[in-house]
Amino acid sequence: MNTPASTTSPLIHLIDDDAAVRDSLALLIGTVGLRVQTWADPLAFADGFDREGIGAIVMDVRMPGIGGLALLDRLVGEGVDQPIVMLTGHGTVDLCRRAFKSGAAEFLEKPVNDELLLETLQQAIRTHVRSRQRQQAGRDARERYARLSEREREVLGMIVAGLTNKEIGRALALSPRTVETHRANLFAKLEAASLAQVIRQYADLVEGGT
Amino acid sequence: MRRTLTLIAAAVLLAVAGSAWIARGALADRRAAFETDARIAHRLLSQRAVQHEAILATLALLQPGGGAEARPEERLPALYPQVQQVLRRDRDDTWPGNEAAALAAAEAASRTARRAALAAVDVERGRFWLVQAALPTSYALRIDLDAFVPAGEWTFPRDGAARAALEHEGRVRLLAPGRVDGAGWRFDFAKHLAAESQPFDLQATLRVGWGELPWAAMAAWSAAVALGVAGIAAWQRQRTERRRAQELLRLGQVGRLNALGELAAGMAHELNQPLTAVLANVQAAERLLADEPPETDTARGAMAQAVAQARRASEVLARLRRTVERPEVGAALQPLALGAALKRALDLVEPECRRLGVAPRIDCEATLALQAEPVAFEQIVHNLISNALHALAEVPAGERTLVLQARAEGEDVVLAVRDSGPGIAPEVLPRLFEPFFSTRRGGLGLGLSLCETLAAGMGGSLVAAHAAPRGAEFRLTLKGAR
Repeated sequence: MNTPASTTSPLIHLIDDDAAVRDSLALLIGTVGLRVQTWADPLAFADGFDREGIGAIVMDVRMPGIGGLALLDRLVGEGVDQPIVMLTGHGTVDLCRRAFKSGAAEFLEKPVNDELLLETLQQAIRTHVRSRQRQQAGRDARERYARLSEREREVLGMIVAGLTNKEIGRALALSPRTVETHRANLFAKLEAASLAQVIRQYADLVEGGT
Repeated sequence: MRRTLTLIAAAVLLAVAGSAWIARGALADRRAAFETDARIAHRLLSQRAVQHEAILATLALLQPGGGAEARPEERLPALYPQVQQVLRRDRDDTWPGNEAAALAAAEAASRTARRAALAAVDVERGRFWLVQAALPTSYALRIDLDAFVPAGEWTFPRDGAARAALEHEGRVRLLAPGRVDGAGWRFDFAKHLAAESQPFDLQATLRVGWGELPWAAMAAWSAAVALGVAGIAAWQRQRTERRRAQELLRLGQVGRLNALGELAAGMAHELNQPLTAVLANVQAAERLLADEPPETDTARGAMAQAVAQARRASEVLARLRRTVERPEVGAALQPLALGAALKRALDLVEPECRRLGVAPRIDCEATLALQAEPVAFEQIVHNLISNALHALAEVPAGERTLVLQARAEGEDVVLAVRDSGPGIAPEVLPRLFEPFFSTRRGGLGLGLSLCETLAAGMGGSLVAAHAAPRGAEFRLTLKGAR
């Protein structure tokens, strides 16, 4: 079993019970500089792999102990967000449909062409990185939103709704100058540089939170 | 089980109902015959009674006069057996005998009623007087009740089954005792004699006992019902069994197909693993050699891996061949009656034929037999017929014919399976027996290839040709059996 050299670069988990397939695919994936961790036992993989890391999972449909589709269901059910690429030696339309329905990112037939496999993996990693970034951004936004006072949240809601300072002042019975102060404060707390950024990052929170 | 009970219940019901109907008919017949007999008896008795009146009236009218030589009435008992005695009373005389008072009273009644009158009726002893008042001489007849009934045409004999009796004012004279006691059915008849002077009732009774029912007919009917129902049950059971057998056969075929599919899937997995490794290794090596500088050592290792995996793939195939290799069929050859075997094969596809509206024809001498391994032969014929039916489904229903024709040709027997389907395209003909070659969507392309292998295994051959005017003909040649 290869151990990852660094925890920052993407890691491909490759699960196949056949050592020759495992080694050759690991070698192939390694040629484009991707790190590979190989697993012979699907259950050991499910219990032991790093769920926080960036990367993708490649596994055969036909495996001992637990079938590929069952493992897929389990991983998706447990909230694993790494894209999962299924490999199969005897793909049927039905199998393919079930895999996609269960949440597989891609379904490839063995023997698999190098370009198709590598392109699929790189695409999967890009997708995963983006989804992690979105998650992180969302988490940060929630933290900053929590710092706002009740009044500031009211003002933010009206900004998002498109009201001017004057209209906000009238609605909340405040002077335009006070509204201006709230506005400056909340921009500072949200670490936002522009109105567009505020609306993009916090519109969902305002609508969901109030 | 439930069905059997239903059948038994139906049989019992039918037998009982039928028997009751038969018994009812027989009883109605008996009753009608009895009533006819009773009416005949009544008519005869009435005639006798009227006859008595007539005799008296004649005597009264003729007034044969005095003198012993001129007494025709004394000859009457000889003429009429029921007339025991004739008495006369001339004017101013009295009635002779010890019943004179009764006779005189009857004569007075007769004179008032202007018809004959009864006197001294003694039903128990079976006799009575009938008196006719007249001038100058009145006559009286003594009638014997037992002789009342005529012998010849009488319908209630003394030793008969029916009881017959004459009744007068509550007193009864039995004419025939009959056998009227016991269980069963009872028919009664009672009617006044049609002669005013002699107010007797004819009473007749007939009892039909249980023993007299038409038991033989009823038993025969019940037996017929039982036989019929047993026949139906047997037929049903046979039909169910045949259906089940056909179902099992079809299931077996489906099972074989499934097994084949499973085998193909397993084979795909077994082969794809080494092929995947070969491809990945070679492509990795390609990439490694394209690097600057090329990673020659790693690439060499990948190529060695690829070689090893290619060998592994070829071993998988060799193992598969060994697994599915068939035992030699030539060893199990045995004589096989061709006609019966063809019929069995057609029975198997009978539902399919019915669906397509195809009436397959067998043209084969009954004595024709060949050397074959029965299962292999059946499989070949079944495959050929199935192919023919698939082909026939593609032409209009009216143009579908299927002929199985067998001929002895020297030592061999040639079986031709000919259909009127669209036939075989010329470009397809040379590839027809290749494994995995199929013109059918979803066909495995193994059927004809297997048939040819089996035929060759039995020392025969299988060839395909065009049939005239249209369609395909498959000719299976095998050694004949003496």
